[in-house]
Amino acid sequence: MASEPTDGGTASDRPTLTMSISQLRGRIFELISAGATIFGITVVMGMLVYVARDALRLGAADPGWYLVFFWTLVVPSLGMAGYFAVRDRAAGSVAYAATGIPVIGILVAGGLVIVFTELIDPQEWLALVFALVVAGAIISAHQRYRPQATFERLLVLFLTPILTLYGIPALSVDRAITTPLTGTELFTLSFSTPALLPSVRELLFVLPILPAGWILLLGTVTAPLAYGFGRLIAARRDDERGRLELVAVAVTVVAIAANIGPLVGLSAEGTILVTTALLVPTLTYLEGVVRRREGFAGLAFPVVLVGGTFVGAVLATSLGFASPDPWLDWSFLTSAPSRTPEDAGMYPPLVGSILIVIVIAMSAFPVGVGAAIYLEEYAPDSGRLGRFVDFLEVNIGNLAGVPSIVYGLLGLALFVNGVGLRDGIVIVAGLTIGLLILPIVIISSQEAIKAVPDSRREASYGMGATRWQTIRHVVLPEAFPGILTGTILAMGRAIGETAPLLMIGVADSVRSVPDGFFDIAAAMPAQIFSWKSELAPEFRTGVMAAGVITLLVVLLVMNGTAIVLRNKYQRE
Amino acid sequence: MSQPTTDSATEETAESDDRLIETEVSVSETVTQPAGASTIIDVGDLSVYYHDDQALRSVSMEIPERQVTALIGPSGCGKSTFLRCLNRMNDLIDAARVDGTVELLGQNVYDDDVDPVALRRRIGMVFQEPNPFPKSIYDNVAYGLRVQGKADDIDLDAEVERALRSAALWDEVKDQLDKSGLELSGGQQQRLCIARAIAPDPEVILMDEPASALDPVATSKIEDLIDDLAEEYTVIIVTHNMQQAARISDKTAVFLTGGELVEFDDTQTIFENPADPRVEDYITGKFG
Repeated sequence: MASEPTDGGTASDRPTLTMSISQLRGRIFELISAGATIFGITVVMGMLVYVARDALRLGAADPGWYLVFFWTLVVPSLGMAGYFAVRDRAAGSVAYAATGIPVIGILVAGGLVIVFTELIDPQEWLALVFALVVAGAIISAHQRYRPQATFERLLVLFLTPILTLYGIPALSVDRAITTPLTGTELFTLSFSTPALLPSVRELLFVLPILPAGWILLLGTVTAPLAYGFGRLIAARRDDERGRLELVAVAVTVVAIAANIGPLVGLSAEGTILVTTALLVPTLTYLEGVVRRREGFAGLAFPVVLVGGTFVGAVLATSLGFASPDPWLDWSFLTSAPSRTPEDAGMYPPLVGSILIVIVIAMSAFPVGVGAAIYLEEYAPDSGRLGRFVDFLEVNIGNLAGVPSIVYGLLGLALFVNGVGLRDGIVIVAGLTIGLLILPIVIISSQEAIKAVPDSRREASYGMGATRWQTIRHVVLPEAFPGILTGTILAMGRAIGETAPLLMIGVADSVRSVPDGFFDIAAAMPAQIFSWKSELAPEFRTGVMAAGVITLLVVLLVMNGTAIVLRNKYQRE
Repeated sequence: MSQPTTDSATEETAESDDRLIETEVSVSETVTQPAGASTIIDVGDLSVYYHDDQALRSVSMEIPERQVTALIGPSGCGKSTFLRCLNRMNDLIDAARVDGTVELLGQNVYDDDVDPVALRRRIGMVFQEPNPFPKSIYDNVAYGLRVQGKADDIDLDAEVERALRSAALWDEVKDQLDKSGLELSGGQQQRLCIARAIAPDPEVILMDEPASALDPVATSKIEDLIDDLAEEYTVIIVTHNMQQAARISDKTAVFLTGGELVEFDDTQTIFENPADPRVEDYITGKFG
């Protein structure tokens, strides 16, 4: 066939291989798709740069300042990145991980510091941890000695944590019972009982001396965290000693840091949290790099970044160049809102938003995942109930699209007017936004559960596993990364919600940090919204931008955590 | 991967009857028939419906203990449906409805007071596609013992080793029991699934085309394994591959389209001297 002349009699009827088939429409479609992608990314990036320019007030700096940093920071780091990309890819990935891990560690530590300074002091934290450890020990002991008592186990599972945390406290009720609709008073319920059983938590406070806060944190945060991360080292080395070594190194270094910190004006507790979050993941990662003996050169990258920044700052100051005067600085993050733009800060709304997110997570996650498990694993596919379930699923999809202001109205009716909670407090805000993201959590969890292949379920049932065992040991472990990712992404959306907050009466601007879950809250998006109507123009050009960047960074930390967790569980 | 094997097998049988006779001779050599083996599963008038479609028509069969029973037939003939009735896996499909009786040692498994979970603890199952859990090899094998609540009373390590040895996998994986079951090759995964099924020591093992997704080398390993398993367990295996049925089984049941059991007899008889002309057509490749 190959020897036939191309212009021969029979060959001319056949299509030749060199004849090109028109791919014009395909090419045009490809170009349009690429154009849409580039357009979208450019618009979003442009917006971010615009906001960042306002927030950091980059225009205020001398050109000389930029020149200095260009040569000390940008040129060396870009040069190294280029070298890694061309010559040494392994070192490149080490470089970016070794830079990124400490940064994420510090950001997470920031959140922890807020929780420990505003919400819970180390003694209370110790009591909480201790009570939960006792509860865990009782539950596992019960499981070991009475493995067959299923109902009893359920009781133990629910009651033990409650008893260790709260005991049986004194109860005193004095409340008028009214009919729900007309509000006519029926009778007055009034009684009081003495405290019967003190909780483990309270017992701990009876102790005459409790160790200092920083020692408690060292024992309850640094050591367990290092022990957990040590599992990675131990698994890599196939040697349990890896754990203990990491714990020993981390505890020693953090303890030293905790004693040095106060000398330079930092709180001992804050120092512990920051050094722990910085040290433990970084050490774990470094151990891996040393073990693999690959990409050592990458470790120079973070050193160059830090060194370049330091040299640049020294040079720029000594040469007398004006640096930018960012709105988004340390005092912005740590001070309360103010009428003057220079003093305005974001600390109370930042704390408020974190508390609200905690309430959202604790309310929407269990309910949403539970609903998803029921709909996917238990609900029948056919029959009358099956049709009802279909109807429910369609409407859950609809609920995901209901405007958020409607959820605000629902929260107001349900929690403020119905239950009788004060308006504008943390728990009402959290529960309302929890309702808002509930459909999204349900749908994404359902998708994650659906993605577990049926063959795995069949294998489990075929082994004589019950439905519960199949869900617990096969479906949930495999669906968990997906459930977690979906939930955290939904919470990322929740943290930026403004309309429902306005509806349930969250104050625009609160000067004090909320004192707990039942206190008046401020929230970041509401605060940003309120700056829009301030008189001084700097609020609109600078402070607002700084607030937006703060909000975005918190969001980024949450999504980053989701990605890290997902990757970790997918590998196992 | 399985399809060419099956096709070529069918073609070969169609091409020459001599070949078939050779196969038969090998059958009569390898299969030792214990006379009067006792019945472990007695199926009576079993019919299965999916909505209004009848997938199985009034099948009756007595399956002997500690032998290999093969179920063969063309696609869609109901042999897998039949297999899944024996451990009530069809209960998991809402649309399926089952009539008739399946008696395991005299007890009808479709009685109201029978718990399908308890039934499946006595009848293990291996599926067509290897489906290990995304857990370690050790945890895969220990899964059945753990969910059945036996793990605390026995030496789990020893039981896992025993099951892996029985599945002829121990020597290949003994140094890497912590490795994920999904990292094994297809043939190893299927042997892992067999080890998982035999670890809790069931009485009967159901196999739904266990070798159809495997290459010839892995297939022959599985076949050797089935031979060994029949010393301790009752094995019921669905297969597309008639030569496989001839090689490994003591009894063969032939299903034809429409969910009918056409003939059930000693494997030797089925392949040498079938009573039903349709069975002869099928195994010589004229049909199916």
